[in-house]
Amino acid sequence: MEKDILIEVKNLTKHFPITSGLFIQKQVAQVKAVDGVTFSIRRGETLGLVGESGCGKTTVGKCILQLHRATSGEVWFEGRDLCRLSDKELRSVRRKLQIIFQDPYESLDPRFTAADIIGEAMRIHDTNHGAAYQERIAELLRIVGLAPYMAERYPHEFSGGQRQRLGVARALALEPSFIVCDEPVSALDVSIQAQMINLLEDLQDRFSISYLFIAHDLSVVRHISDRVAVMYLGKVAEISARDELYRNPLHPYTQALLSAVPIPDPAVEAKRAPIILKGEVPSPINPPSGCVFHPRCPRAFEPCPTVVPALGDAGDGHMVSCLLHPPSWPTGRTPASSGLNAQA
Amino acid sequence: MTTLLQVHNLSTYFYTQDGVVKAVDGVSYHVAKGETIALVGESGCGKTVSALSIVRLIPDPPGKVVSGTVQFNGTNLLTLSTEEIRRVRGAKISMIFQEPMTSLNPVLTIGRQISEALELHRNMDRREALRETVRLLELVGIPHADRRTRDYPHHFSGGMRQRVMIAMAISCRPQLIIADEPTTAVDVTIQAQLLELIRNITRDLDTSIILITHNLGIVARYANRVYVMYAGMIVEHGPSMDIYHDPRHPYTLGLLASVPRLDEPRKTRLVPIEGQPPDLIYPPKGCPFHPRCSYVTPSCMEGFKAELMEVAPGHYSMCWIAREPKPWKKTSS
Amino acid sequence: MAVAVEVARPHHTLWGDAFIRLRRNRLAVAGTVIILVIALGALLVPFISPYDFAKQNYDAISLGPSWAHPLGTDELGRDVFARLLYGARTSLAVGIFTQAIVLVIGLPIGAFSASVGGRVDNLVMRFVDVMYAFPDILLIILLRAIFGGSIFMIFLAIGLVAWVDVSRLVRGQILSLKQRDFVTAARAMGATGRYVTLRHLLPNSMGPIIVAVTFGVPRAIFAEAALSYIGIGVKPPTPSWGTMISDGYNQIFAAPHLVAFPALAIGILMLAFTFLGDGLRDALDPRLRR
Repeated sequence: MEKDILIEVKNLTKHFPITSGLFIQKQVAQVKAVDGVTFSIRRGETLGLVGESGCGKTTVGKCILQLHRATSGEVWFEGRDLCRLSDKELRSVRRKLQIIFQDPYESLDPRFTAADIIGEAMRIHDTNHGAAYQERIAELLRIVGLAPYMAERYPHEFSGGQRQRLGVARALALEPSFIVCDEPVSALDVSIQAQMINLLEDLQDRFSISYLFIAHDLSVVRHISDRVAVMYLGKVAEISARDELYRNPLHPYTQALLSAVPIPDPAVEAKRAPIILKGEVPSPINPPSGCVFHPRCPRAFEPCPTVVPALGDAGDGHMVSCLLHPPSWPTGRTPASSGLNAQA
Repeated sequence: MTTLLQVHNLSTYFYTQDGVVKAVDGVSYHVAKGETIALVGESGCGKTVSALSIVRLIPDPPGKVVSGTVQFNGTNLLTLSTEEIRRVRGAKISMIFQEPMTSLNPVLTIGRQISEALELHRNMDRREALRETVRLLELVGIPHADRRTRDYPHHFSGGMRQRVMIAMAISCRPQLIIADEPTTAVDVTIQAQLLELIRNITRDLDTSIILITHNLGIVARYANRVYVMYAGMIVEHGPSMDIYHDPRHPYTLGLLASVPRLDEPRKTRLVPIEGQPPDLIYPPKGCPFHPRCSYVTPSCMEGFKAELMEVAPGHYSMCWIAREPKPWKKTSS
Repeated sequence: MAVAVEVARPHHTLWGDAFIRLRRNRLAVAGTVIILVIALGALLVPFISPYDFAKQNYDAISLGPSWAHPLGTDELGRDVFARLLYGARTSLAVGIFTQAIVLVIGLPIGAFSASVGGRVDNLVMRFVDVMYAFPDILLIILLRAIFGGSIFMIFLAIGLVAWVDVSRLVRGQILSLKQRDFVTAARAMGATGRYVTLRHLLPNSMGPIIVAVTFGVPRAIFAEAALSYIGIGVKPPTPSWGTMISDGYNQIFAAPHLVAFPALAIGILMLAFTFLGDGLRDALDPRLRR
């Protein structure tokens, strides 16, 4: 059954200007944090977004929510392009789009009680009236697995895992249809991570919420996502259905990423040889030419430094952006027309 | 296998405004020459504190090593004078920390920091030390090492800084390296690079490593023996293969079950460990894990002895249930 | 799936927690006590001493401490103890009101500049830089020429040069707080800039601001004493410790108590506020918990 598409991101680009100057700031360079990202998320589905630091995944999440205004591109939600809406127009839409943060110690105002935190959205949108407000707060606490009597406590009285639950309760307050989960379990202890992941999955089933699950832990992403996108230096390297990505990674970066993740089993590990990438992630201020991954790619060949690959369909909706696969060649150019030998 | 380091019955307490935090409570472990052991556990379990206690880096106040001995090369490190322990640190036992930015001096060049240690501990003169510094930086894979000795820490990226830390750690040919969450702050591909680097270098030098981490994958890849810590105590230890394939403590079992694995078919639901990590000022009576344990029985509270019992050759557990054949019977769900 | 929570630690609000920590700091407590004692003395001096600060008695000139005059008399026969306590009124008033002016001017400027950010922030901060560079003494002389030697002039003069520090502090606090996740969360919920500033940014900046103001008091006290000492502070007969010192300086060898007591008073009051400020800073610093 084709579930309908909730969010559609087209060619999203976000460049941060770097300015310098005494009185008048002039732009001297830009950080190309996100550079032409396209994907869509269906209702009730989770899209996992993985990549390493500096790849732009957090920026993508914030741009969708218009917390950063995109440099160019479109974000379609409920028939409107959010990038074109003014702050005022966005206000009502914001009820349906929410965010959960990574750091449980930073994401809650230390001067607010748990009730204040959870109810803030209701107060901002002026739907906090009397007994119904209190009821809703107690209900939200229960939904995330906290006792209602904790409503008057302050964040410093909760553990890290409990604070994350408060963050989730806060996001749920106005019944959103989409939540950006920005590394929600990375800062939690291993034994608490599983609790949080189960909670997020339960909430998705119960309230039919879509997630953009941003993470760097590939094992966690594999568990919770329906589809997975891999980002590198502001661009999407590969997107496909979850099982397909892990079973058959096409992009060399995805392959390196998967091999680098150690598996908690010494017998398995003894037989693995991780693909070690050379060098560091380049700066997004000065990304490499052609395919941004080529300097570190173990399978780079002649066209890679000059031709920018496009995100092409390698079969069954498995999109990849790598010149090793013909669908990635920009229209009008093929390996043959460029006078090169194609390696596949 | 000669034993290089023997920690026996170490206890470190912190005296805070809210009470006494028993960060490490009667911990014993040993490291043989050339071996890599892992201290595994979540935040607050005491793994870092126990390692810092070995090299006497616990801030006093509020911390204090209240009991135990640390035998290293025949001497008890805990009884050495400040001057003597300083000579051990960096030279015989060196450390790699999680956050390289805070362990490198921001106002000294990288070259100066490394060569300083060489001049101090290996009695080199300025020129020799500089040459050795360049050699070390090349060894850890820093390109244009000769030029980069004049750079400051902030000129390096996170992964590069960790390499510098590794270079500093091995510069004085230590017998033991304590690596405290060395790759938690870096990306997974850099993590792979750094850990391979550490493994290759220490294999050549026959250095022992104490690897402190919460990442069960890294431990599986690199450690020979594993110590599982919880609430300041070691609840299980043994050879790596045994711990992963035949865990004999409910905490270890729970930990392994709750971590999603890339190679296994996808479970539809993770099995978390319910509850919260314990409060170390008011720890639970009896076994520290019992409030969260699915196999708890009354004897876990009354009459519980915090002792490790051998349940298989070289494999020890603190849980009475470890002697029972598996599968164990659940008492709560 | 309720998670049981055992409450082993007592429940405190943030202010309650800070207050407890402050109480444990003995220097801070001592400082507070000294301030309270001096303040009470200043308020109740008509009941404590039979002497008026201006009453001259040519029969008892420059006497040392005695039963009749616990701290002696000055060159006009005025009781030193009484003058000291009346002078405390001036000092405390200056301390408190100048900081009030500092807050009223500095806080909104700093908060506005940081909240709006961008070019406006740049402009406002350049203006603040100019104010900072402006010579304080010149401004004070100017104000004295306009307003005379009333105590309000002193409030204004000291306040107008001191607000710059607080505005910079507030701006710094708010700029760093703006990046915090809980502020982003509020924006994600559709909060306006004003809401974020008033409900999130300012309340969380309060700690360092309180400390800065507490440290500002002894600086103001000293400034007033210094200005009065060199003659451009409050005009007699308004009592001031600075004036007492400058008057008594002429007889420093014959009647050293005329300089010693006011100087000691200044020192003790400043120290008391400094201890309190130190204590507040430690108590309000969230990172120093446990």
